[in-house]
Amino acid sequence: MSLQTPRILPSHLHAFHPSGSSSNTVRILGTVTALHGSTGTLTCGNNGDVTLILKSDARLQVGKLVEVVGKVADLEGGQGYGLRVLGSTEWGDPADCDYKIYENVVNATHKFKTIFYE
Amino acid sequence: MDGSYNNYNSFGGGGGGGFMPGETNSPAGGKTFDRDNKTLRPVTVKQVLDASQPFPEAPFQVDGADVANVLFMGQVRNISSQSTNVTYKIDDGTGEIEVKKWVDSTTADNMDTDDGKAPGDGKTELELNGYARVFGSIKSFGNKRYIGAHSVRPLSNINELHTHLLEATAVHLFFTRGPPGGAAPGGNAGGDAVMGGADDYGSGQNKALASMSLVAKKIYNLLKTEPQDDTGLHMQVIASKLNMPATEVARAGEELLGAGVIFSTMDEQTWAILEY
Repeated sequence: MSLQTPRILPSHLHAFHPSGSSSNTVRILGTVTALHGSTGTLTCGNNGDVTLILKSDARLQVGKLVEVVGKVADLEGGQGYGLRVLGSTEWGDPADCDYKIYENVVNATHKFKTIFYE
Repeated sequence: MDGSYNNYNSFGGGGGGGFMPGETNSPAGGKTFDRDNKTLRPVTVKQVLDASQPFPEAPFQVDGADVANVLFMGQVRNISSQSTNVTYKIDDGTGEIEVKKWVDSTTADNMDTDDGKAPGDGKTELELNGYARVFGSIKSFGNKRYIGAHSVRPLSNINELHTHLLEATAVHLFFTRGPPGGAAPGGNAGGDAVMGGADDYGSGQNKALASMSLVAKKIYNLLKTEPQDDTGLHMQVIASKLNMPATEVARAGEELLGAGVIFSTMDEQTWAILEY
């Protein structure tokens, strides 16, 4: 079985926490809004932020839309969940993406798991 | 004798030309197969991996429907160029599959606009970990499933990726649950609810229906929802179910027959919905 990376929104992070039974590698789409050394902030439309735990060779740029594949992890100091970045794809200007479509994709993919993930 | 034979002949020819309503089902039946084999289904990689094959060499089936060509989008995880083909590994988040694009050196510099680049570098702008849009047919070699690609092109607009996933969902639901609007009783005017790849079929019929009489719409809905066998329903049955005079049902039936929405089966008075 090949690796699956469900598309999610920040509110779904808890469902993919390592303590749970399901896989914890996910895909999330957002705009990079801040970078502080080894962490970054990804803003997902009107769905909140996700803290990214970056690899040393990460090449993210503030203001760009990126799709991140990563593992859900605990943040240091019990600040909730973050995402350890495994890979990222840059999609350019966030204005070119209709985030509503992505929200619908997330809903559809989780509602009709049989053709996407299970 | 001779004369009547000729007469018969020319009459038969006219019937074959499609003037007799009773004849319409046979050419349409032939077309159904043809059309199915030319469809391009939006799918996810997982659907391709899950596709079943009723027996070896049979066409693959997704959601119980034969599928000839599939379309999907995903990230390129590996590119390996050989002299005769380029093999890509495509990952769309639901699974991974190999895609083989044959390099045709004789046509590499003709009008094939999507890869009119020099032969050999079949990579045509595709980057590792970049997104690609693939269409081709499902193949298997031994136990391994792969895609024989007609086209592998880079994808640059993320909305296209997302709408593809929604389209794949819509088409999946179309095959597993029937056309949109079917669940809502009396929803025959629900052409606007048709979405994605399903619209070719749905809106065509709904559009034809929209201009029809109320009785015709009622008959169509009954034929659609009433349990029946392959032969459909007899006019008298429809009349009694709808509590309507038979003459009115006959007239509306002609309307539906004329538009090619239904077809007559056992005899002129037994109708079924024409699905293709």
